[in-house]
Amino acid sequence: MKKYGRGIGCNLYGVGYGFSRPDHSAAYIEVADDGTATILSGVCDIGQGSDTIFCQIAAEELGIAYEDVRIISADTAVTPDSLASTASRQTFVSGNAVKLAATNAKSHLVKLAAEIFGCSLEDVVIKERQVSCLSDLSRTMPFATLAREAHQRGKQFIGFAWYDNTTADVDHDTNQGDAYATYIYATQVADVEVDTDTGEVTVLRVGAAHDCGKAINPKNVEQQIEGAIAQGMGYAIMEEVVIQNGITITPSLTKYLLPTSQDMPEVITYLVEDPDPKGPFGAKGVGEGAIIPTAAAIVNAVYDAIGVRIFSLPITPEKILVALAEKEKEQI
Amino acid sequence: MDFSVVGYSVQRKDVEAKAMGQAVYAGDIKMEGLLYGKALRSAYPHAKILGIDTAAAKDMPGVQAVLTAKDIPGINRFGLAIADQPVLAADKVRMMGDAIALVAANSLELAEEACSRIKVEYEELPGVFTVEDALKEGAPQVHEQGNLLQHTTLNKGNMAEGFAQSDIIIENVYQTQRVEHAYIETESSVAHLGFDGVLTVWTSTQYPFRDRRQIAPVVNMPMNMVRVIQMTTGGAFGGKDDITTEIQAALLAMKTRRPVKVIWSRKESMVCSTKRHPMRILVKTGATKDGKLMAMEGQVYSDKGAYCSIGNFITKKAGLHLAGPYFVPNIAVDTYAVYTNNTICGPFRGFGILQAAFAHESQMDILAERLNINPMEIRMKNALRAGIANSTGQVFESSVGFYDTLLRAKEHMERYDLPGGVKE
Repeated sequence: MKKYGRGIGCNLYGVGYGFSRPDHSAAYIEVADDGTATILSGVCDIGQGSDTIFCQIAAEELGIAYEDVRIISADTAVTPDSLASTASRQTFVSGNAVKLAATNAKSHLVKLAAEIFGCSLEDVVIKERQVSCLSDLSRTMPFATLAREAHQRGKQFIGFAWYDNTTADVDHDTNQGDAYATYIYATQVADVEVDTDTGEVTVLRVGAAHDCGKAINPKNVEQQIEGAIAQGMGYAIMEEVVIQNGITITPSLTKYLLPTSQDMPEVITYLVEDPDPKGPFGAKGVGEGAIIPTAAAIVNAVYDAIGVRIFSLPITPEKILVALAEKEKEQI
Repeated sequence: MDFSVVGYSVQRKDVEAKAMGQAVYAGDIKMEGLLYGKALRSAYPHAKILGIDTAAAKDMPGVQAVLTAKDIPGINRFGLAIADQPVLAADKVRMMGDAIALVAANSLELAEEACSRIKVEYEELPGVFTVEDALKEGAPQVHEQGNLLQHTTLNKGNMAEGFAQSDIIIENVYQTQRVEHAYIETESSVAHLGFDGVLTVWTSTQYPFRDRRQIAPVVNMPMNMVRVIQMTTGGAFGGKDDITTEIQAALLAMKTRRPVKVIWSRKESMVCSTKRHPMRILVKTGATKDGKLMAMEGQVYSDKGAYCSIGNFITKKAGLHLAGPYFVPNIAVDTYAVYTNNTICGPFRGFGILQAAFAHESQMDILAERLNINPMEIRMKNALRAGIANSTGQVFESSVGFYDTLLRAKEHMERYDLPGGVKE
């Protein structure tokens, strides 16, 4: 018999290393004489999309197009140290470093533009590849022209910055104090089907609402959430490295069950943007927060469907059948 | 604020190369004179090494180098947060994934064959394979300093008062399993000592600068003579935060003076690299009859496997997040990170909080049912908001968007009917 259930899973997640562990990041930006820009960043893009996010942040801050920005990342001989792509920290910490480096580069450009226009620094605005004087909009020039002008005049437009996200320490005995710079939050709702004859759980739909501060690239955030739900579902109902007396008895992908595209539920994402004043353009991150509530929501949905609660992951068909049999016994 | 680039779903910088099959992974690297490296792994989860005989392997034509611990030019240690892991086990193995010897040969098949010809004499030791056994008096010791790697405490408010003010107290034990990152691309590196004396390592990694920090002292070179370059990485999820193939490739490249490629097989990836920590979590939660959380007491036991990696912080973080995104006035959590002779556990997307969320979210639903309150309502009632102290007593004046995620979830539940029709 097929039974259906719905469950909620929620979580918070401290972004960055916290607890006074070093949590800094650096970036360089160079504006070439045709107005294109190159970022040097130590950050590893491991598929989460950091290269893209940083190009967007730099383009926004410099006032140029996304297509005009290129990034070279994660080479110890070329890029500055930006620490690891872990702890959901790169958008928040390295995003700030890139933004500050862009601000630094831009400050030189603005100074030159003010000289050329004969206006104050505050009067200069750069947006969408165009440099203008706010009080007299007839004075305007393409960003590329300003960049070329700079090189003609012996100026170089390099920006450098580092951002230190290292937090204060907490009390060592009670762990009370300001542990993390910021937190991300989420709620997911899972709809499941449980086959009471076979014990099999099918996840049909997941609604996922995530507070990421500000989505620098909404589609990228959705991708993060969708991938995380696949992984979180595997954690909930399939995956287990079985070790007996120290020996792994599931050392291959034929013995270790992973979700495939055929197991993917429908995923509906909701981006909650509650900006953090410390984050770049308000952004906080999403990477790890996205996976955390999935298994919890599925566990609660299975209970909702069949009235038995599983206290150990993964929820295998065997565990469900045993629990259902015990429940039946109790009722007799 | 009016943005022109931020907030737009522009095409990702990496997408074209990946979609067209043009992205270059460490395993794709081809070089003149490239050798293939392979590690001999332990035959036991816990044993003394009495002797290693590499003569038969060294004699094989096409085998360019066979290394054991005594051939390491620098220190024989690494580890993400605590350097407790040997590059090559010298006197003792602590898990099946421990490497004992390294071979570089003209082909992978030759390297594997050479590994099989290395003779290791062991004296098997009794092992510990569960946290419970590891913490018993007189248990076999994984490391000399004992099996309890770390104990942390979180204390907020007054537990006795919190439970006294509770109308209902529920207590449960949650157990999670060990899981694998299972990235499509297994751990891979190529290393080469250049004519300029710079050792370059091209690798699949999450942090080249820490790789450099860990490679340099093992090969006994200054850090500025070691260059680490991240190649396109086919998934990582925490599993490539720690050193994997980098030092193995580097040592063989230094010895042979030729480029060496090391790619772990799927089996090695499963047996040798870090996993998500299994945790046993005991939680006792107290609430008033109208569903207000009053107290939460917990104990978290994590199975570290044989080495720390960064499991000390993961276990601690699980404890700090055990109250969930809720205001709980009284909290006491103890966490214990425990060494065993199982495969090493380390960072994995979620960093201990999946385990915590499984426990706190199950508790919320159990409370809701016992108190006859809707699961959404009990969460809304206790939700952290701006200006309210979380479990470490930290207060944020803004950007606590949890309640809004609940509202969006509630709308979602109203918008989408549960398949199979209305429940009884």
